[in-house]
Amino acid sequence: MRAGLMRDLLVAMLGLLLLLALPMVFPQPSLRDFLIYVIAYGLLAMSLNLLVGLTGLVSFGHAAYFASGAYVFGLLMQSGAVSIPLAMLAAVGGTALLALVIGAICVRLKEIYFSFITLAFQMFIHSIILTWVDLTGGDQGLRGGIPRPPFLGIDLGEAHTLYAFAAVIFVLCLLVMRQVWQSPFGYTLRMIRDNPARANFLGVNVVRMKLGIFVLAGAMASMAGIIMALFVSGAFPEFGFWTTSGEAIFMIMLGGTQVFLGPVAGAFLLQLLNHYVTIYTHHHGLVLGVVILLIVLGLRRGVADFAAAWLAERRATVPPAPATPEPVKTKAAG
Amino acid sequence: MTENTQAGRPMTLQRRTVLGAAAAGVAMLARPHVAGAQAKVIRVGMPTILSGRVAILGTSSRTAVQYAFSRINEAGGLGGRRLELVERDSKGRPDEAAKVTRDLINNDGCEIIIDGEASSGGFAVHEVIRDLPVLCIHTNSETSSLTADPKLHVKTAFRCARQGVHDAVAGGVYASAISKQRGLKRWMTCSPDYAYGRDNTAEFLEFAKMFDPSIEVVDQVWPRLFAPDYTENITKALQVRPQAMYSALWGGDLVSFIEQSNLYRIFGNITLFSSSLGDPPVLTAIKQLPPGLHTAYRYNRNYPDKASNTAFADGFANLAKHEPTNWAWQNYVAAQFIAEALKRTNGRTEGAALAAELKGMEIESPLAVSGRLTLRDSDHTLIGYPTAWGRTVPKAPFVEGFVPVEWSQVLEMEAQWKKQKGYA
Repeated sequence: MRAGLMRDLLVAMLGLLLLLALPMVFPQPSLRDFLIYVIAYGLLAMSLNLLVGLTGLVSFGHAAYFASGAYVFGLLMQSGAVSIPLAMLAAVGGTALLALVIGAICVRLKEIYFSFITLAFQMFIHSIILTWVDLTGGDQGLRGGIPRPPFLGIDLGEAHTLYAFAAVIFVLCLLVMRQVWQSPFGYTLRMIRDNPARANFLGVNVVRMKLGIFVLAGAMASMAGIIMALFVSGAFPEFGFWTTSGEAIFMIMLGGTQVFLGPVAGAFLLQLLNHYVTIYTHHHGLVLGVVILLIVLGLRRGVADFAAAWLAERRATVPPAPATPEPVKTKAAG
Repeated sequence: MTENTQAGRPMTLQRRTVLGAAAAGVAMLARPHVAGAQAKVIRVGMPTILSGRVAILGTSSRTAVQYAFSRINEAGGLGGRRLELVERDSKGRPDEAAKVTRDLINNDGCEIIIDGEASSGGFAVHEVIRDLPVLCIHTNSETSSLTADPKLHVKTAFRCARQGVHDAVAGGVYASAISKQRGLKRWMTCSPDYAYGRDNTAEFLEFAKMFDPSIEVVDQVWPRLFAPDYTENITKALQVRPQAMYSALWGGDLVSFIEQSNLYRIFGNITLFSSSLGDPPVLTAIKQLPPGLHTAYRYNRNYPDKASNTAFADGFANLAKHEPTNWAWQNYVAAQFIAEALKRTNGRTEGAALAAELKGMEIESPLAVSGRLTLRDSDHTLIGYPTAWGRTVPKAPFVEGFVPVEWSQVLEMEAQWKKQKGYA
């Protein structure tokens, strides 16, 4: 097992423990609810950043997969025919398939054309949700709640268990994305982002690579949708509307694209702002706009990227500790 | 951690300071609330839409409840306890509605919820109440299935709002009487292209045809929701030349449609029946309101013709600076029901106790057409409210000649509709 993976596993374990411990230290249900919200939207933003930050593909239609996960999962659970894990697998698998079909068309386009075709597909899926009323409930969403029957002794109808379940899924998804982020595949994607012509010249199948990450990002977004569907016990067309994609892009802008956990920081900040601003004023759009403007103009990058750059700069300016001279060893050739 | 300031003086940002601030943030988020039977104040939460295009839904709902609560509090409260409204903006997003409802209950200590959400937000709040069973009264969702479908039933949730199927029966009875009288055979519809628009139109036509089988629908157009331009739909109406038109357009869409139709003077030849024109903000927003358009009752200070109704309209208008809306009276009545239930439980706020009192409760109200309004026992929904239709006139309050539809007829047709739908 490589050292990086061990470190990631350790950090993931610590992160999970922290997430699980927080509601024990602060037992108010509102904190738990807030964190589930951050987890769901954080996961959506993280999955989008696989496209935006890692591959340089700015998707305006990522919420389509968030909605797809929520609806497929909700419909399967309402059918009463499958258990929660099976419904989750089917929702993620189904969404991956949807992303494969859409991605096969989208990834052949570049820059703004890619962005707009992803938006077009999202609006197409949103229209299907609105018009296929018999299946989706149309603009009213899936009504009647999403049943949460216990499985393997886990009862998601219980608020603490639902929170712990969401936290575990969140950390597992982050771990998967982290491995992709650090893998040769991840570095190939960076190369495609920075110079696709060169990557192609070096023998990289650019379309296939982009399609691979597009499908993975869609699958991860569907997991976020499932968590949200479990939390609100429903699925609504707004999940698949362009504003949800826009919010995910805001989170990435706030948190940063280059630090792995930047989008989670952005999701936390945006939800925190949203939570308090909504309490004190109805002009939340104005306040959020001003904050985002200040961050974009002031920091010129997301807060996590800014912090990372600042730390790197600080390390570079700190004079190195006097090194103990080591005896020069000569290695025999051969 | 250090950071250089502009003055050149190093500003020290200690790691423990950052951690301390983060911990304080978490603690603030998780701060406990003081609630329960000992509190002097009974907090009532309201998730609703307070921003965006339909903000008037939330703002008029809020003002109506504030008006009702201020009257109760000025009269000494309920056994010495005051009622306080805590409202939150859901921005029209169902998931946000679910979140703020949970926040209102878990964080803000609200013991009762008045759900001022529209359509899908109402269903989202309904599911929260299934999990957190405080008393909830839905005040703005008109979708019939919310309370009619027994599969959706939640023991502590009620609806104090008009309902699609009631309006459809009343509209069918009223429109068919006029169509028979004037020989209006050729009908057209122009309703927004989403579930509410299509369901509402289908239900209206179903009952209108039931009472006048000679009605023929010659065309149906479905402009998209929040469309700014209706020229295409108006041109279609000019081509098809129907004798009557039904529209489920509402709010700003309806204002735009009527004003653009005025340019073509189509209402001289086509008799319009509208489900939502009767709302005072819509009526006042139309610059040249054509006379003789038929509209369902939404709110009117002269109907029901009671001093208490006029007093409500004046009291609300003093606070809001505009006439009450349909949403305003629904929320005002919900506040009346809550106050009565609290009186009967001696201030106990447990959801089950309040729900037991509200089941089948009758109250006197300015809005009751025959004395009393009822929260029906069987499906927790409001009956006895005005379902009349009237005609527009150019001066305030813009609608007159209300023709009431008997509630016995509405209930009979509703029972048949429930059987058809498998709800009964």
